[in-house]
Amino acid sequence: MFKPFVHIQNLNLNYHNKVVLKDLYWEMNIGESYVIGGKSGTGKTSLAKTIAGLIPAQGSIEINFDELSALPKEVLYVESWYQFKNLEGVANFYYQQRYTSQQAKETLTVHAELVGYGKEKGLHFDQVEPILEALGFATFASSQLIELSSGEHKKLQLVKALWLKPQLLIIDQPYTGLDVASRKNLNILLDQVAEEGVQLILICNDSELPACINSFAEIRDGKLVKVDALESSATEIYLREIPAFLKESPVYSSEDIVKMVDVNISYGEKQVLKNINWEVKAGEKWLLQGHNGSGKSTLLSLVNGDHPQSYANELYLFGNRRGSGESIWDIKQHIGLISPEFHWYFDPTATVWQSIASGFYDTVGLFQQLPYTKSTQVDELVEYFGLTENKNELLTALPLGKQRLVLLARTIIKNPELLILDEPCQGLDRQQTQHFNQLVDELCSNGMTLIYVGHFESQLPTCIEKRILLEKGEVKVVETILENV
Amino acid sequence: MANYFNTLPLREKLNQLGVCDFMDSAEFLDGVSALKGKKLVIVGCGAQGLNQGLNLRDSGLDVSYTLRKEAIEGKRDSWKNATENNFTVGTYEELIPNADVVINLTPDKQHTAVVNAIMPLMKEGATLLYSHGFNIVEEGMQIRKDLTVIMVAPKCPGSEVRAEYVRGFGVPTLIAVHPENDPQGKGLAQAKAYCVGTGGHRAGVLKSSFVAEVKSDLMGEQTILCGLLQTGSILSFDKMVEKGIDAGYASKLVQYGVEVITEALKQGGITAMMDRLSNVAKIKAFEISEELKDIMRPLFQKHQDDIMSGEFSRTMMEDWANGDKNLLKWRAETGETAFEKTPAGDVKIGEQEYFDNYTLMVAFVRAGVELAFETMVQAGIKPESAYYESLHETPLIANTIARKKLFEMNRVISDTAEYGCYLFDQACKPLLGDFMKKVDTDLVGKNFNEGKDGAVDNRKLIDVNEAIRSHEVEQIGATLRKAMTAMKAIKTA
Repeated sequence: MFKPFVHIQNLNLNYHNKVVLKDLYWEMNIGESYVIGGKSGTGKTSLAKTIAGLIPAQGSIEINFDELSALPKEVLYVESWYQFKNLEGVANFYYQQRYTSQQAKETLTVHAELVGYGKEKGLHFDQVEPILEALGFATFASSQLIELSSGEHKKLQLVKALWLKPQLLIIDQPYTGLDVASRKNLNILLDQVAEEGVQLILICNDSELPACINSFAEIRDGKLVKVDALESSATEIYLREIPAFLKESPVYSSEDIVKMVDVNISYGEKQVLKNINWEVKAGEKWLLQGHNGSGKSTLLSLVNGDHPQSYANELYLFGNRRGSGESIWDIKQHIGLISPEFHWYFDPTATVWQSIASGFYDTVGLFQQLPYTKSTQVDELVEYFGLTENKNELLTALPLGKQRLVLLARTIIKNPELLILDEPCQGLDRQQTQHFNQLVDELCSNGMTLIYVGHFESQLPTCIEKRILLEKGEVKVVETILENV
Repeated sequence: MANYFNTLPLREKLNQLGVCDFMDSAEFLDGVSALKGKKLVIVGCGAQGLNQGLNLRDSGLDVSYTLRKEAIEGKRDSWKNATENNFTVGTYEELIPNADVVINLTPDKQHTAVVNAIMPLMKEGATLLYSHGFNIVEEGMQIRKDLTVIMVAPKCPGSEVRAEYVRGFGVPTLIAVHPENDPQGKGLAQAKAYCVGTGGHRAGVLKSSFVAEVKSDLMGEQTILCGLLQTGSILSFDKMVEKGIDAGYASKLVQYGVEVITEALKQGGITAMMDRLSNVAKIKAFEISEELKDIMRPLFQKHQDDIMSGEFSRTMMEDWANGDKNLLKWRAETGETAFEKTPAGDVKIGEQEYFDNYTLMVAFVRAGVELAFETMVQAGIKPESAYYESLHETPLIANTIARKKLFEMNRVISDTAEYGCYLFDQACKPLLGDFMKKVDTDLVGKNFNEGKDGAVDNRKLIDVNEAIRSHEVEQIGATLRKAMTAMKAIKTA
């Protein structure tokens, strides 16, 4: 009699007084590898964490490990959010601190982190090297954890999982923040470990999957339902008209939004930006591309006034030379910004409403009372994004996709002159992404300036007209991809 | 140099001790304009120096750093901190003569040497800014009469000063103008502008005096902030081990417990902290903290008396002259305690469990905060100042213990605080000998509620609640906390 590999019966889970999983029953047989997809907020992450024993739930979960296999009898859950600590044990940083030279020394290096992990799990270091190579991560060995971008953090987690090869490997949003090449290599590596006997559960809505995936499921009404393939799931979302205050054209104080002249940024020996020359004029819509680690987020931090080395470079923002007596708050008031790192380090004590409102003041968390007109605008946007029933909940209590929507609302609340959207749709499902990009198009048609970072041509707003490509910290291509008619 | 405070007539002593004004946010509407276009030169580039400088520059001000020649030539950490963040760095001779404001952010014990070196170089009518008044008040440093002397003291470690700024907030800050050195009457305007530059104006600013700052700061750090947290932590750990509680668990409970417990204190004062306990545990914690207050009151009073008379600073300066012999010896001893050497165990402790299983620490904190506050107020310090130096700072120090135990706490705080902390700890431990003999694991290590039915006498509970809530530290705290509700929760556990 074969027992199923994973056998779940009568699983029930409530979160914040809401039913998430209800009498869930599931058998995962030997040889099966799953993708669990579907809408944001259906309980996929909760189920994964429950299987991994990370959160308690009522019911029975049996994992029947293969006693004869050499692979570790272990369920490994790779979170979509990775928390690291600095050497003083502090887990919560602000994203800007990545750029301050002194702070950077307080976290472990990638190499030290991996050595520690290998020791803890009894793994041989020579086995991790091919994985590092394949994911293009070998060059990061001496980097500090805080210097890594979100895509690099994701890779670090994946490296550990592929090195360990647990009998059951659950990966939450495996492709988040990875560029095209890394996604392909990841699929090859996943197929390799599957060949060796690792069974996979991937939580995602992506279509380019490893070949070993042979089953699909979604969670509906708290139950796991097997499906033939992932449908593009319908999400209740805004097809409403955008609020009137977002239709007003921005008033530009200068035609020159960004101007960089031979900009160089380095940390010690490591040069992350090399002789960058770039101009963004009012109303232009830019796509910024480059591999993970090519310097994109550093470039954007210069524009947003976050980088201390701005002061040593020839950089003009909104017509003013950087370091000519302006404060970073003077700069930020022109900009609405979102990035994965920004989301990562956002204030965990803020509610949905407060998070959006804080966009008026460019603060992480809300520290002041809003005047009536502004507070009405927050309400309108909350309504527009379909977040009304969540507005008093803590941001962090929402599923990641919804958190991202909240921060997107925060980004546009003040109808800024410049929108900086660094992988804004990470964590959103296909439909949410499409709708968000439509919204971006609509906002931009009123003259807003845009800098958009995205990996996939298919998932971009249509208004994009210019492209800048970075490679190893240098400008590789600047081109016009769409002539303005 | 003579102790400045001791040269004052009583009336002027009381006058300066009593400077205390919690400033309205409307006082900061001029922003940084009083410092705009001025040359700000910071002496020293450690945690406070670097982070304040980063904030000031990001507020549009002109900031550079001056270091001793040896630090520049040796490319020491302070030099690296400044240059890697693209600040201009120069020697005293190069930068001080052109400075409009010289900001002295070196450790206390270097102040006399630093000020003696920079004062002759400073231009006529410039400003000298301190972040602690020890040099002026205790050492009696005399500053040239044409110079303005002000103080701006962010009440947080340097890293928090930066972290709160970049998120658009700030840390509570204390400012003062030295009455002997304000020839042009510009001191206050500059101090306020500096607060805006570091973001402090968003989190509440208390106008104080050099005298009030020193006498309350020393008292707070020696007694409740560092001294009692150290004593309480070590005694609690030793007691648990003695009673057979797993050492890893004990280590974790003590390391993180004080942070979790004082987080409630930060949010809602002693009341909120005590309210996290069950009714039975609260009554017990109240009773033993009353007992602790009676036992420790003479020690708190002695510390305050020695601070007021200058006896404390006299003996500490003797140790400075002696190459920090005592300080280094005591620091080494702290590194050798069992608590310090036992790593926190890999056990999960829930947030509520830190309260239920560590009732003793709740009692220590209540006793220490109230005693420090009461003793300061009795000595002529205003309640607002006393609040900052007792209740307000306790969670910040607790946070350093959670990071890396007492070693970390003593590394982060100033040498002055550390010296006073050891003095207190050495006197306090024997004082609590008999008390600790009676303590069992229900107060530390196990859940106090276990095996109890939770029943309490109504009248008793009402009296206890009344006593907690009506204490003056709670009254003043409620007002001051309103201004800093947005302070980030610092959590490591």
